[in-house]
Amino acid sequence: MQLLIKKILRNNKILKIKNFLGINPIHMSLSGIGSASVSDAFCWRTDCNFTTTFKYSDLLNLFYNIKDSYVEIFIYSKNNDLIKKIIFNNLNFSNKLNINQELLNGIQDYGVFYIFHRLNNKTENNFILSNRCYLGFSQNNNLSSFVHGNTLAKYKNLTNDNENSDIVKTTLLINNNYRVQNYFDKFDKSEIFLSNPTSKKIKFYIKEKKFILEKGCSIIIDVTNEKEINIKSNCLFFRPLIFNYKGQYIDVYHG
Amino acid sequence: MNFFFGIKNKILKSKLTIPRFQNKKKSQEKYLLYQAEVKNNFWNIRLLNDENNKDFFFVKNDIDNNKIFFLATKKEVDLWSNQKFQKLINLNNYTDTSPAFRANLQIYLTNAGFSSYQSEYPFSMTLKKGSILSPISSLANEDAEKNYVFIKNIYQYPIQEKFNVFFINIKTKEILFKQSILTNTTNEVEIKKEFIKPDIFLFTKNFIGIPIYTSIHKNHISFEHTHPPHEYILSGDKFKKISELKLEINAIIN
Repeated sequence: MQLLIKKILRNNKILKIKNFLGINPIHMSLSGIGSASVSDAFCWRTDCNFTTTFKYSDLLNLFYNIKDSYVEIFIYSKNNDLIKKIIFNNLNFSNKLNINQELLNGIQDYGVFYIFHRLNNKTENNFILSNRCYLGFSQNNNLSSFVHGNTLAKYKNLTNDNENSDIVKTTLLINNNYRVQNYFDKFDKSEIFLSNPTSKKIKFYIKEKKFILEKGCSIIIDVTNEKEINIKSNCLFFRPLIFNYKGQYIDVYHG
Repeated sequence: MNFFFGIKNKILKSKLTIPRFQNKKKSQEKYLLYQAEVKNNFWNIRLLNDENNKDFFFVKNDIDNNKIFFLATKKEVDLWSNQKFQKLINLNNYTDTSPAFRANLQIYLTNAGFSSYQSEYPFSMTLKKGSILSPISSLANEDAEKNYVFIKNIYQYPIQEKFNVFFINIKTKEILFKQSILTNTTNEVEIKKEFIKPDIFLFTKNFIGIPIYTSIHKNHISFEHTHPPHEYILSGDKFKKISELKLEINAIIN
């Protein structure tokens, strides 16, 4: 009986109703995704003299001793337009990609990218990998400030091209608060980066100001004059990446 | 229940900003800020009166590499005192939230760079023994003047026991570096450039903890921790696969 109840609770339709009603809402669910590589929505910046360093591991070699896997990286604009697809073969245990204007044909902007581990041949193994990775943000060629991945966003089968999102759940009402647990004082400037990891429209408020983020889109919002950041949205896991500036120094972390 | 901690070395200082609110709710003034440190095989507990406002505690002057901090009511600490502070106990669930309840841990150089991350040390980790496995080149920076990894361990019993940290080339199966560190301490380990390579991993024997990498270059700082391996595998075989890998690495250090 307990198993039956658990099965029902994990059912996606039941989950949607529970989340809608706010009964023990589930922020994220991986139920029924099968064998897959899960990616965060990683932020990249080439605006304001930023470059982004991306460090990722060859998880299939490290944990499963599979030597011939490869990764696909999809770089999107802030408006969710695909800018570039890159494939890397011959992976080391730890690997690095520099995302700069040169790589993006002169684009000075920001957006998100995704990484998927891929296999050449079908596998009997039913594994789900999540490469949380590390991002370094350097401004004016100074030392990169590193931060790890933030939000599980998309997943892709390891061998075919089936790609999905909606690991993070949304609600009908804009009634989910997220208070960043830090005090924003004594900085010259503060920005938050938010991306929509779902296929739904995310509506959110910061103070009284309303924002809308379409599927896969991202935004940087100046929050310099706020001592505290409270985000009210229809998304159950909507955590920002934070850029704090003081003099020539920057600090980047996920909030 | 989560604990919080700081870092101090010859050149770096740190400060903690501990929220008095859960990340979806209003602040709760009944939770006070306490400090704990190992003294004569007991946990020595002290109520802190550091700077605070209605939403945050700001800890700066009380930070060293041995102290830990936590939120609790006076009543909860009084109950714990009946057990004579012989080991850490789970005093309350105020900081058991999803997303995790975290404090901002910022390190800084005086009049120069700063870097932070939202940090916490869950009570459940204080009960466990085991090992850390962490890829060094993911966060250490070969272009920086200095690289450190700070390894924070909090263990339930008030002891400062030695254990070893190793840098291991997992391809050639060689031990490249070994240093003795302590439980219930923020341990400082300097990383030489020759160890910042894709095949070199940090590994500890007997005790777990959080490895936090710090790079310093021209007064700029980067500060971030690596994920534990179980966050990379989401399928049911996660503990089997990680345990197989750790067994392989244990065979190298044995």
